[in-house]
Amino acid sequence: MIRWSIKSLFSEGLGLVASCIGVAFAFLLVIFFIAIFAGESDRITAYPKQVNADVWVMQKGVANMHMAVSQLWDWKEDRIRSIEGVKTTESILYLNAVINAGGRPWFTYIVGLTKAAQYSGPWDMHSGKRIPNRGEVVIPDVLSRLTGLNIGDSMQIVDDTFTIVGLSSGTFSMANSIVFINYNDLADIMSAEGSISYVMVRANEGVDTGQLAQRIYNELDKVSALPQKVFIENDHHVAMQMGVEIIALMTFIGSGLALVIVAFTSHSFVSRKKRELAIAKAMGFKNRHIYTGVLMQAMLLTFFGFMLAVLFAWLLFPLVTILAPEISLKITINALIILAVSAFFVASLAALWPARQVAKVDPVSVFHG
Amino acid sequence: MSNEIILKIEKLYKHFGSGDALVRAVNNVSLDIHKGELVLIMGPSGSGKTTLLSMLGTLLKPTSGRIFLNAMDITSMGENRLPAIRAKNIGFIFQAFNLLDALSVEENILLPASLMPGGMNSARSRCRKLLDKLDLSHRRKALPPTLSGGEKQRVAIARALINQPPLILADEPTGNLDSEKGQEVMMILHDIVRDEACTVILVTHDNRIEDVADRLLWLEDGELRDRKSEAHTWVQDPVCGMRVDAWSSKIKTEHCDNTYVFCSHRCQQRFEDDPDQYLDSKSNV
Repeated sequence: MIRWSIKSLFSEGLGLVASCIGVAFAFLLVIFFIAIFAGESDRITAYPKQVNADVWVMQKGVANMHMAVSQLWDWKEDRIRSIEGVKTTESILYLNAVINAGGRPWFTYIVGLTKAAQYSGPWDMHSGKRIPNRGEVVIPDVLSRLTGLNIGDSMQIVDDTFTIVGLSSGTFSMANSIVFINYNDLADIMSAEGSISYVMVRANEGVDTGQLAQRIYNELDKVSALPQKVFIENDHHVAMQMGVEIIALMTFIGSGLALVIVAFTSHSFVSRKKRELAIAKAMGFKNRHIYTGVLMQAMLLTFFGFMLAVLFAWLLFPLVTILAPEISLKITINALIILAVSAFFVASLAALWPARQVAKVDPVSVFHG
Repeated sequence: MSNEIILKIEKLYKHFGSGDALVRAVNNVSLDIHKGELVLIMGPSGSGKTTLLSMLGTLLKPTSGRIFLNAMDITSMGENRLPAIRAKNIGFIFQAFNLLDALSVEENILLPASLMPGGMNSARSRCRKLLDKLDLSHRRKALPPTLSGGEKQRVAIARALINQPPLILADEPTGNLDSEKGQEVMMILHDIVRDEACTVILVTHDNRIEDVADRLLWLEDGELRDRKSEAHTWVQDPVCGMRVDAWSSKIKTEHCDNTYVFCSHRCQQRFEDDPDQYLDSKSNV
């Protein structure tokens, strides 16, 4: 029956192609949501990843950067620098704020950089100056494209006006973009003279970062000190928590759509082939033989749909990032494996409905007409 | 034909509905069919032929009565055992051929073999022999939609024979064929009985194939009567002039010491309303 079910499926011609495309679009939707989520999660943690400090030091009780507020006295950086195992430090002042640009609001990380900043500033420049002086700002190149603002233009951040002096790459996401201004400007905006938000510590070679973080924590009051890996994990976790429900819902809807399409296709196939199924039953095939055939068809349909979706994703995603640069897409092999396993369950579930129909096929009907 | 009984039917009933809507599709049928016998079941439309065939093929449970196939009581078996009984013991041939369109001629023939212990591979040589015998070798890779009616029916016959079942049930196998192809199919079935030593039970309306049968059974109103083909007594319906078999017809009226036979109750009613109008007819029996 498996041979029959496979050949029958392929004999459907255009019907099979249409069904595969339907399933593929449902899966493409799921892949798209997953890719957006992965891409955005990646972008949200881009700053700590690129800074690549060994240990992050911040206000006690704070454990990440996204949507967080941290304030330390700046003298604490000097204390940290003197701790054994610390090679260098850099500090930033940091504020989450909404800025208006191009007539719409953008949720932004505003990073205040000192003049001596080496690794806490933008890591990849599209054009212009990397470290801003007072009254200057470096914005993401994508934000520049979306808003039409360019080097030399002015923009408002909180109550002050800044001149755009540089465009950075890899610093934009739909959830947040990173703009860099001078430390003193941000300190004025926040009325936080003498304060810093994060100290980024690079350790001497061979020093265990976990132990170094513990040492910093022990020697300074009211600070949190976390190794880079833990800090990024925390940041990613917060981002996931904030977006996971909606993404899960979208994934559920997409998978549900795929399920309905596969089930409907299998169901209509069984309906069309009722007479042939009755013949098979009359010849001595049991329901389980026919279920296996129907399941095989659902599996094949889902497999083709899934592969087609991956192909579409591979072709379309570069186009999407060109046409909509604000969207960051990322597909991982793990995500595809998870989706493939989900597709397997979708196919199994989708086969249940037509399987019920199979059980109802009466072999006596072969004698009628 | 041997004396060995392959199919024994005892007081078989099949009723549908109840009360005023009760239909006695098969009514107290008892019958013994021997190995190597070609049995023809004839009768008017709606007489219960297909219902009887469905029960013999284990596709339909009787209301009461028993059917023994190779001494096994198939009426008392559970539904889960019947598919295996069908696969091993019964070959089906249908009026509409009922081939699976997506499979080639060879695959269609081999399909029932996949249910047997050796699977398709062990049946391949028999399949080749059947293809040769039924003159289908050159069409073995063809798909059913590309075959002629006669070829389709020969494929269906080969499929019915692939597992070497002792019993073949054929429902109007010549119904969709012209007279030449119908005759060819009948001769094949006749040869099968002779060469394969299996029993063929054939339901048909086709009077032309009476000659090849060992036995003719007449089923009407659910009741079965044994008869020979010579038992035809063709007369003309006095009302409509249609040819009617006086031996099998139950629609009869006695009038002036004569018996008149009709094709339908409608003609009978018209005759009874005004017999004189039709009395010059030659149709008294």
